[in-house]
Amino acid sequence: MDSGKTLCSLLKAIQFQESAVFCALPEGLKLTVEEGKCVQASAYVPSDNFTEYHVRDDVDVMFKISIAVLSECLNIFGSGEESSLKMYYRGEGSPLLLVLQPQSMYNVMTDCEISTQTADSVLELRDEDAEEVAKLVLKAPAFLGLLADIERSCEVFELNLSPEHPNVSIVTYGMQDRSCIDMPKSSDMVQSFSCESPVTLRYQLHHIRSIMKALAISTKVVLRCSSNGLMLLQLKLEKEDQRQMFSEFYIVPLLDD
Amino acid sequence: MKFRAVMIDAGPMREFSNVVTIISKLSKECVLRLTDDHLYFIVSEENSGPSPPVLWCEIPQRMFCSEYQMIGLDEEHKDIYMALSSGNLARSLVTLKTAKSLKMKLTKKQCPCLTLEIETPCVLSQQTRQVTHDIPVTVIPRKLWSDYHEPRIPDPDISIELPSLKQLRTTIDRMRTMASEVVIRASAEGRLTLQIKTDMAKVSTRFKGLNVEAFAGPIEHSDSETEETQANEDMSRICYCRVDAKKLSMFLSAEQIASNRTVCSVVHKKLVILCLQTDENVKLQCFISGIVY
Repeated sequence: MDSGKTLCSLLKAIQFQESAVFCALPEGLKLTVEEGKCVQASAYVPSDNFTEYHVRDDVDVMFKISIAVLSECLNIFGSGEESSLKMYYRGEGSPLLLVLQPQSMYNVMTDCEISTQTADSVLELRDEDAEEVAKLVLKAPAFLGLLADIERSCEVFELNLSPEHPNVSIVTYGMQDRSCIDMPKSSDMVQSFSCESPVTLRYQLHHIRSIMKALAISTKVVLRCSSNGLMLLQLKLEKEDQRQMFSEFYIVPLLDD
Repeated sequence: MKFRAVMIDAGPMREFSNVVTIISKLSKECVLRLTDDHLYFIVSEENSGPSPPVLWCEIPQRMFCSEYQMIGLDEEHKDIYMALSSGNLARSLVTLKTAKSLKMKLTKKQCPCLTLEIETPCVLSQQTRQVTHDIPVTVIPRKLWSDYHEPRIPDPDISIELPSLKQLRTTIDRMRTMASEVVIRASAEGRLTLQIKTDMAKVSTRFKGLNVEAFAGPIEHSDSETEETQANEDMSRICYCRVDAKKLSMFLSAEQIASNRTVCSVVHKKLVILCLQTDENVKLQCFISGIVY
């Protein structure tokens, strides 16, 4: 890989827990972080981001790794420096090897051995039977601005979606306040909107806030809600070249009292 | 005792201010020693009695001062030693970067003071402003002078020129988040390796093609250490030292001083000496003792 910089910022975006499950698939890399059983965040790096990419197809390449250490290692030459990156993993129990070389300096390189652990199973939150009830495509910077405006002390984030005006209405409840943001589908930040029948979903605000770092580096966000209340956010990363990286968040709804 | 010095050149004044800023970051207190031809800043390990200094900085007065007069204690003891707060000094000298001149003198006010008179130009008119700072100092009695002598250092096993301090500092700072100790390893072939090892990770950054100034090998290693050696390396030409990452990073903040070169000397397993020299012949030396288990 020519530059580990984007990968590093992608990792930082999902770094709300100490360790992540690292999974190398033939299509690309996937790193997953879970918070409790409520939020699951994944970073996807499709294989075309790498100049060379080989995965043995007869074994599952999957292990647990400290995401903080991984991102510090990727950033070892500082954030101003573009450095090329090579990654190796031999097999279960062996460390993940990284070799980094900055592009502006020829006489220096870093190699890292990051210890790995056997991965715990990753929650399967997607339920094939639950159908999708709404889908929104939003501009990420505008959505980030909206989330940043919401008072931090609020606990509940309520999302009302309906085919009628106002199509999207976000209500937050705190200790002594209730605030409401309406967002019709004609709004600049809404790129597409589909919803057949009105639906109301409630989430914990701090779960929603965990996507903010990822939003800051993304251009577009796709928000999907399924009939069981699970929210899926897919974020497309901003990148200079044509290749893409993604992050994905599953957020479990609050149960009704 | 008398002391009076004047600086009028912009370059040296800027550098003087930078040097003092670095010292103030490394330590709250420092000792200023004045001799006929040098100013010395000396920092000893904080909260410990007489111990070898951790930082030793020499500033040749001729390169910096247009006027320099001093009279020491008596004929035999021509120097002046005083202790002062490096923070006070650094803050007073902040305006020096744009100043026209700096006058320093030793004065007797309520207590002994180092008085700084800084003349700064006015943007709009020809007039200048003059700011006077009085920094209280403690004059060090002669019987304690020996605590501040230049440290006697064992001969280093290797002296190697360092790569860009800025680069080095970013790397050390990243490593510092993962481990508190760094192993510096230098080889007679011009390779320098910084390495950390924790339960989570082992990270080594290698620089190669550096200038080796001196090498007093071969280095003797006990058998237990050689197990990790890579087969293609001749261990007798490598020495290393384990040091505190925070101290190393603090010295590396000296990157702000426009240095012409920095040399790292290692006494195998015992001591790392970092020595920075600028175009104005300021010599800043830092001693970081090794950690041995």
